[in-house]
Amino acid sequence: MKTFYNLINIAIVLISFSNYSLQAQSNFISPAYEHFILDNGLKVYMVVQKEVPLVHFRAVVPAGVRQDSKANAGLSELTANLLSSGTASYDKETIETTLDFMGASYNSSSNMEASVLTSSFINKDLPHVLPILTEMLTKPSFEEAEFVKSKQRAVAGVDQSRESPRSVINNYFNQLVYGKHPYANIPSGTKQSIERIELKDVNRFYSDHYTPMGSVIAVVGDFDPTKMKTQLTNLFSSWNNVGKVKNNRTVLPSLDSSKVVVVNKEDARETTMLIGGVGVPRNISDYIGIQVINTILGGRFTSWLNDELRVNSGLTYGARSGFSALREGGSFSMSTFTANETTEQTIDLLLKTYQKIHKTGVDSKTLESAKNYVMGQFPPDYETNAAIARFFTDTYTYELPLDYIDRFNESVSSIDIVKATQIIEDYFPKENMQMVFIGKASEITPIVSKYGPVKVLEITEDVYE
Amino acid sequence: MKINLYFTALFLLLLQKGISQSRASDVQSFTLSNGMKILVLEDNSIPNANMYLFWKVGSRNEYPGITGLSHFFEHMMFNGSKKYGPKMFDRTMEAAGGSNNAYTTENLTVYTDWFPISALETIFDLEADRIGHLELDPKMVESERGVVLSERSTGLENSNFRNISEQVKGAAFLAHPYRWSVIGYESDIKNWSIDDLQTYFDTYYAPNNAVVVISGDVSLEAVKSLSKKYFEPIPAGPKARPVHTIEPEQLGQKRVVVEKQVSSPNIMLAYHVPETKHEDYYALDVLSAILSDGNSSRLYNQLVDQKTLATSVFSYMPESIDPNLFYFYGVASPGTSPELLESEMIQIINDIAQNGVSEKELQKVKNQKLVALYSSLETIDGKSNTLGTYEMYFGDYNKMFSAPQSYESLTVEDIQQVAKKYFTKNNSTVGYLISPENNTK
Repeated sequence: MKTFYNLINIAIVLISFSNYSLQAQSNFISPAYEHFILDNGLKVYMVVQKEVPLVHFRAVVPAGVRQDSKANAGLSELTANLLSSGTASYDKETIETTLDFMGASYNSSSNMEASVLTSSFINKDLPHVLPILTEMLTKPSFEEAEFVKSKQRAVAGVDQSRESPRSVINNYFNQLVYGKHPYANIPSGTKQSIERIELKDVNRFYSDHYTPMGSVIAVVGDFDPTKMKTQLTNLFSSWNNVGKVKNNRTVLPSLDSSKVVVVNKEDARETTMLIGGVGVPRNISDYIGIQVINTILGGRFTSWLNDELRVNSGLTYGARSGFSALREGGSFSMSTFTANETTEQTIDLLLKTYQKIHKTGVDSKTLESAKNYVMGQFPPDYETNAAIARFFTDTYTYELPLDYIDRFNESVSSIDIVKATQIIEDYFPKENMQMVFIGKASEITPIVSKYGPVKVLEITEDVYE
Repeated sequence: MKINLYFTALFLLLLQKGISQSRASDVQSFTLSNGMKILVLEDNSIPNANMYLFWKVGSRNEYPGITGLSHFFEHMMFNGSKKYGPKMFDRTMEAAGGSNNAYTTENLTVYTDWFPISALETIFDLEADRIGHLELDPKMVESERGVVLSERSTGLENSNFRNISEQVKGAAFLAHPYRWSVIGYESDIKNWSIDDLQTYFDTYYAPNNAVVVISGDVSLEAVKSLSKKYFEPIPAGPKARPVHTIEPEQLGQKRVVVEKQVSSPNIMLAYHVPETKHEDYYALDVLSAILSDGNSSRLYNQLVDQKTLATSVFSYMPESIDPNLFYFYGVASPGTSPELLESEMIQIINDIAQNGVSEKELQKVKNQKLVALYSSLETIDGKSNTLGTYEMYFGDYNKMFSAPQSYESLTVEDIQQVAKKYFTKNNSTVGYLISPENNTK
C-alpha cells in the first residue's frame, strides 16, 4: 500500500472528526433528525436515510474505561463484551443464532468515555432485532460460565497484543501524559487486574454505570420514524437503573518535565515511537483550527513529518501526528517507526521538523491547501448510517454542538495566518515532551537519554509507575 | 418452508427496490479508442466523487529477481511525471481537496482518488500525466527503497499473520508466482534497477490494461468528455504476455514451522482452490462463511466458545485470477498445543465433507451475503470498489447485481461437494508459528 492510516491508532474519537471539512461551494449539511427524551432520561436521535434498506442502531452508555480503577483495569471492556452473552429472555445461543441468521451484525465494546452497543440489519427485521438489543443493554444476565471464558480470552489478549508494538504503545504514552487521571487507564487491563476481576465486580460495574440517564441512542436508516419512536418508547421506558457514580470530572495533571520510556522487545526488527504531550478537550472552539494545522504538520501525505521522514529520507513507511481529544482533555502525539540502526537519525529529524511549526509557522499557501484538504475530505465521513449515528451520539458524549456539520465550512474558512499562529502558540506543546520507544532497549537507551530521564521496561510490563 | 420464504421475501425486496438507488442499468460504461474501459455510476448523495483505477498487474506477473516490483511500482507512480514532477502529484491533489491511496495484491494494482467534485478535472490531469508520462527519478527510486523496506519490516514486526503466511504460500506453491509475498524478498527490493522499472511500466501500464471506475456526483457526459481529453491520447500498448504457469497438482501434505516469540501458537492451514471465475467459487465462499463468519459459525462456536482451544479463528479466500489458496487461521489459547488445535480444526472441516451443512446454515449465509452487499453499496467508495472487483475478477461488473441469485441457487449438496473436493489432506499445507522454546518436536 502507498500509505496506511491510523498508524499508531491515535484515538478512537479522531476517526470520526480529524481532518474532515466541507467544500465552500457545496451544500453539505447534517441530515434532518428527530430527537426525544424518555422519562427515565434516555436520549434518542432518529435519522431516516433511504439509500439502502438497512438500519443502524447505536447505544452509548456512560460506562467507559475512565470508570475503571487501576486495580480492576479492563472491567469496562469485559462488561461490554458480555452484553451479548445472554439476557433475561434470550440465552447466548439464541442471540447468536437469531441475529446471525438474519445477517444482522452486532458489537459491544468500550472506549475511554463510554460503552457502545451497535447493530446493523435489514429494516424488515426491526421487530425481531430491537427487543434483543434492548435486553442486551438493559437485562444482561452475566452468567458465570461466560464470564470465565471472556476473562480467559482477555488475559490471553493482553499477551497477544504485546506481539505488536503498535497495539500497546498508547498504553505507555497515556500513562506519561495523564498520570493519575483515569484517562491513563489501560483499556484492556493488565493480566493482574483482569485476574482480580470477579463476576460480582461486573454486576456492580453494570449497575453503577449502565443507566438510561446519561445514555444516548441513535437509530439511522430506512424506517418509519413514527413507528420507531413508539417501539423505542415501549422497549426502553421500563429501564430504570439509577446507578451510583455521577459526574466524576477530575483535573488533568500538567507536565513539568520531559520523560522517556524505553520498552524492551528483544526480537524487535524496528523501533516504534510516540512523542508528544498535552492536548485539548474535544469540544473547544479551536478544535477545527487545530485539525487544519495538524494536517500541515502530520495529518496527510504531504505533511511536513511524512515529507521529511518518508519522502525525503526513506527512513520510514510513514510518520504522522494527531490530537486524541476526549471530553475533559487529551493528548498530542507524533508517531513513526524505523529500522534499529536509523533510530537516532529518525528521532532527531522528527523533533527538528516539529520545531519548524514554532520557529517558522505556516505559510499562507500551505494553509490554503490544508483548508481545502480538510473541507474536501469531510462529506465522505458522513455517508454511512453508522457514521451518522456516531455523529449524533458523539455530540452528546463530547458535548459538541448539533450544528457542527453545518458550521464546519465556516469554521475552516475563518482560519487565517493570524489565527493559525495563535493556534500553534496555544495548543502545540513547546516543551516537556513525553516519549515512548518500543524496540531493542540495549540499542535505544544510550541514544535517547539526551531527551530526558529514561525508564526502561520490559514488553511484559504494563505499568510505568 | 419457513427458511426459504424468508429469503424469498428478501429477494423480492431486492427486485422491487433495486440495490440501493443503484441498479445494473445505472452503471454506464464506455471504452476509449486506446482500449481503456471506464465505468460510471452517478450518485449525488454527497458533493464528492472517486476514481478507482484497476490495473491488471500484481505479484503474479513477477519472477525471481523482481519479486515485489508490482508493489514498488505502485509507490513510484506517486514520484513524478512530465508535468507534475516529484511530490507534485500529491501536493496538487491535496491542495484541490483530494486524497489518494493505492494497494497491490497478487493480481491487481489499484489506485484510488477521493475528491470534492470541484477537483474532477485536476484528477484526470494528474492521472493522465503519470499514466502517459511517468518519469523515474533515480533519487526517488533510492529513497523509495527505504520506504518499502520499512513497510515490509513494520508488517512483519506487527503481524503474526504476515510472518506465517509468506512461509505457507512459499511451501504451498511450487511453481506459480503466488509463492512469494506481494511485498517481495528483501534482496530483490534492494537490487532491482531503473531498467526493471521502465520495462514494467512499458509492459503493464498501457491504458488497454486498465479499468477505471468513477462514482459520485458526476455526470456521464462530463466523465466522457474528460476521458477523451485526458486519457484517450495515451497510446495503447501491446498485450502483456499471459502468466502461463499452472501450479502442478500437490502430491502430499506440506508442513512448515516458523519460530518467533509468541505467547501462544498461531496456525495456518491452506488448501488449493480454483480461481474466482470458476463455478465452485460461490460454494467455497459460502463454505468459508459457514465455518467462520459470526459467533454461530462452526469454527468460532466450537473452538473459541465451546472448547476454548482458540482465542480467535477465521477462514479467508482471496479473489484470484489464477487458482489460489483457501486459508484457515487459528490462534491457540494459552496452553493449547498447535497439534491439538490443528486436529480440531481439521475435524470440523472434515465433518462438512462427510456430513454436509444444514439448510438453516446455508440460508443464514445467503441472508448475510445480501446484507453485506447492501452495506458495500452504502458509500460511493464501496460502489466503485465493488464494481471494479466484479469487473476484474468475475469478468463483468454486472455479476455484482446477479450475485444474490448466484448465492440463492446454491444447495446444501453443492457446499458438501466442494468441501469434499478441495479439503483433502494431500491438498493441504500446514504452518505453525511457535516460540523457539516450544519447537522441540
